[in-house]
Amino acid sequence: MPEFDLDSFKKTWQEQPVQQKYDHSAILEMLNRKSRNYVKYILWISVVEFIFFSVLGLFYILQGKESNSFISILEKLGARKTTELEGSLDNIYVVLKVLSLSITAYFVYKFYQNYKKIKIEENLKKLILKIIQFKKTVNAFILINIILLISFTSIFTLFIFYVLNTQNIEVTNSTLTGFIIGTIISTAVAVLLIWLYYKIVYGIIMRKLDKNLRQLKEIESQEF
Amino acid sequence: MRFCIYLRYLIYTSALASKEKEFAQLIKDNQGLIIKVSRLYTNSLEDEEDLFQEIVLQLWRSYDSFKGNSKISTWMYRVALNTAITLFRKKSKSLPTNELDINHRDFVEDDDDKQQQISLLYTVIKTLPNVERAIVMMYLDDLPYKDIAENLGITEVNARVKMNRLKKTLKEQMEKYA
Repeated sequence: MPEFDLDSFKKTWQEQPVQQKYDHSAILEMLNRKSRNYVKYILWISVVEFIFFSVLGLFYILQGKESNSFISILEKLGARKTTELEGSLDNIYVVLKVLSLSITAYFVYKFYQNYKKIKIEENLKKLILKIIQFKKTVNAFILINIILLISFTSIFTLFIFYVLNTQNIEVTNSTLTGFIIGTIISTAVAVLLIWLYYKIVYGIIMRKLDKNLRQLKEIESQEF
Repeated sequence: MRFCIYLRYLIYTSALASKEKEFAQLIKDNQGLIIKVSRLYTNSLEDEEDLFQEIVLQLWRSYDSFKGNSKISTWMYRVALNTAITLFRKKSKSLPTNELDINHRDFVEDDDDKQQQISLLYTVIKTLPNVERAIVMMYLDDLPYKDIAENLGITEVNARVKMNRLKKTLKEQMEKYA
């Protein structure tokens, strides 16, 4: 092959015979097909996640069974069920549920707002940054949920100690150790499962976006 | 009242139909650009057709925002490249990027020299990372550096520096595999 020069090759490239593959009707047909893209994929998965967490919260509010199961734990540890105890437990639940639902509502709003900001006709860098921003809303929501899970567990554990203390109940060392280890392990497993789920679900798309963004940043950092 | 609703519906559907026709004509006239992007970012005919359709869909969705706001070519390049680089979910696994597969289908149907060179160039460009492929394609299609830079969100100087380096890389690769 003679020496290759990209500039002299431009004309050949531009005149390459590109088959006119699609006619009017084929193009019109495409407009009714389903889109298969990553943003849509993130959107639907996130919508399902929001619904799941919200329904779970509402389910517990309507059922009101949590306090009973929590009291049964207290009773197993030797505490007595009193109206005062039930009253303060109900108050804690209401505060935590209102907090949890307000956080979900705020994130649903932010999530939708950031989704609407994604415009395909923007430049590549802005588009990638906006998709990452959109995904960060979901990340923040998940992180807050993990923090809430740990906080709720800690608040209830402290509450158990408070009840045991006010009712002057001495718990044997083995029961106490079992209870604390059980709480820590179940919380850790829940956090690990949530983390693993997000790595698997969003891993591929985030890797692809990061890779493209890195390429752009690398081009920007190059000098003469 | 009912008649008014029916009339509005008729006006709406006929306006939509004429907008669709106008759009289909635009795509038909410029399908070469979309075909080139689809070919550069996929490794199978199935993916290539899927990417073409996805680009057409994204162009249709952004059609209203385009009208009158920018040049057809700028809008088409942006949407096509953004879709190929960022949005598109491939069905088949992509080839390793650093290996030149000279048995690739790009070569199969070609008989004359020019066609073989174009096919080889496609194969060589495909070994480059996504963003670099976009720069080369826009350069080959004679887009000014200003537009290349704006489409990617980088500076004109960076686009120029990168393209100069890419010219050398492509020259080496083309001469090596010719």
